[in-house]
Amino acid sequence: MTLAAHPHAVRPLRKRIADASEPYLYSAPALILIIAVMLVPLVLGISYAFRDIQLLNPLSGGFIGLDHFRALSEDQAFFRALRNTLWWTGASVFLQFLFGLILALLLDKPFAGRGLAQALVFLPWAVPSFLAGLNWAWLFNPVIGPLPHWMHALGILDAPNNILSDPHLAMWGPIVANVWWGIPFFAITLLAALQAIPRDLYEAASIDGAGPVQRFLSITLPFLAPTIAITILLRTVWISNFADLIVVMTNGGPADRTQIVASYIFTQAFRRLDFGYASAIALVLLVLLLAYSMLIVLLRQTLLNKG
Amino acid sequence: MASIDIQDIRKSFGAFSVLHGVDLTIRDGEFIVLVGPSGCGKSTLLRMIAGLEDVTSGDIRIDGKRVNDLAPKDRDIAMVFQSYALYPHMSVADNMSYSLKLRRTAKEKIASAVGGAAAKLGLDPLLERRPRALSGGQRQRVAMGRAIVRQPKAFLFDEPLSNLDARLREQMRAEIKKLHGDLHATSIYVTHDQIEAMTLADRIVAMHAGVVQQVGTPLDLYDRPANLFVAGFIGSPGMNFFEGRYLVSGDHADLRLANGVTLPVPRRAGIESGATATLGIRPEHVVLDAHGALEAKVDLIEPTGFGIIMHVSIHDVPMKIFTLDRAMLDPGPAVRVDLPQERLHLFGTQGQRVE
Repeated sequence: MTLAAHPHAVRPLRKRIADASEPYLYSAPALILIIAVMLVPLVLGISYAFRDIQLLNPLSGGFIGLDHFRALSEDQAFFRALRNTLWWTGASVFLQFLFGLILALLLDKPFAGRGLAQALVFLPWAVPSFLAGLNWAWLFNPVIGPLPHWMHALGILDAPNNILSDPHLAMWGPIVANVWWGIPFFAITLLAALQAIPRDLYEAASIDGAGPVQRFLSITLPFLAPTIAITILLRTVWISNFADLIVVMTNGGPADRTQIVASYIFTQAFRRLDFGYASAIALVLLVLLLAYSMLIVLLRQTLLNKG
Repeated sequence: MASIDIQDIRKSFGAFSVLHGVDLTIRDGEFIVLVGPSGCGKSTLLRMIAGLEDVTSGDIRIDGKRVNDLAPKDRDIAMVFQSYALYPHMSVADNMSYSLKLRRTAKEKIASAVGGAAAKLGLDPLLERRPRALSGGQRQRVAMGRAIVRQPKAFLFDEPLSNLDARLREQMRAEIKKLHGDLHATSIYVTHDQIEAMTLADRIVAMHAGVVQQVGTPLDLYDRPANLFVAGFIGSPGMNFFEGRYLVSGDHADLRLANGVTLPVPRRAGIESGATATLGIRPEHVVLDAHGALEAKVDLIEPTGFGIIMHVSIHDVPMKIFTLDRAMLDPGPAVRVDLPQERLHLFGTQGQRVE
């Protein structure tokens, strides 16, 4: 009797546990992978910011609290890099967007050879960033590149010098390279959004009496707004983290004039080998970009709700 | 309000010609329906009147003024699109007032025009909504409201009811007719739906393959179709056709079908004896009569509720009969029918109507 009754009492409990844990067990492999791949490095990286980690000092590694952040708050090179980052990101994103939008509007109109033009426009995107950086560095080099001579002939430069070695102009070098490299991203995404706008809206507007400018303002722009918001968000985060071109073309020089936060982190981590300090800077950059992203996401949400 | 005069309009896209010389005069206040199957050029013609397509050759005059080279906004017309083409990020009121705002109309005038149109179309409670918060029928009403606030010279409708379900289409059809009764605005309405064409039009323009087949009142097209195309396109279920050879013997005439059967037809002056011809009769005009001259084998019965569509064959030639007689729900294997002479249509070798 007891032997017979006992398994009846136990089995439901086991079964209940098995039933309850079933969904977690199914999702566990994916969750464990995601945590291992995404969260662990993030937490480790953040933890470095509060530790003294210098590769050349075997005694380092201890917890030092907010010391890195205190040092950072007095680091003039960091604030210069922050200002340079704003300048580099703002100018690059704005110009990429502007030229990308113009290109997308041109490619939206049917003309002979449009397919080929669309393919060619995409080409810079396929060039590796290091190659693009080297290429533009050579173009700006008066010994082998034509650009300084052309700019001198046009009166933009006093003499055919390398703008990459001029502290006041050096930042324009990587910005120009970045704009050239990044236009396709905006052109292609904006073109896709443009082509999704129903044509009869433009026809209705032209019958209603709207000219090209009014049609652009009252149809094209509202339709593009959500795409514009999300692409600008993506590109801003991307470009402010994007040190390749700067490292290749100027290496932060001359006299730190082209040093942005991302290249400053690179310099701290891999030139000075101070991983702790580099992590602290990275954490500050992360917080700033997160705040910025939130802002854009909110903006986009309101735009979408309005539409 | 204005008349519209179309002279020898042609349109080709590259080497591909879609309109082969259309002539049409639309009187002031008239409701014209362009009807035809997909690809017959009716929408292209409408879009050329609107100025959305270039004219390859020919003239379009609105109120006596040649408009070929005028931009759409300068033609003083309004258009209602199949997709409604409402501006999705503007409220209903803004959608309706957009054209007036662009023309820098005074604010009070805009308010009264929008208010008047909204009252006429029952849009008052929806003015602050956005198009995506509206049903299909409401969107359609807003699209019409947007057209009438401007009081244009002419209204152009491009299949405006095609995106609505059947019930709503019926309702909006009546509303459009009522609206036209109120406004008496010159209207051109494109549709592939012959019911819409029949119910709305003062005159129907039936088009096929870029050529106008017949222009006339709805009953003209129904009673005296100019050719086989119009005969087959207008009416539902469609007209029955028998192809054969027109033979005169003495004072009466026959149509001899390919299988040797002869059907008596009225004598017509417009056709030679021996010519190939097509005989047509509408399903609703076939008379079921126990003493009828012809035997018809019953193939299929389609009850529609209101009436019955019978698919039969006369000497293996398929034919449809429409009847209100419920006894025909179970007619047995065969029925006897008569084809009344006064209801017969005769078409010649080229498909043209023969009188």
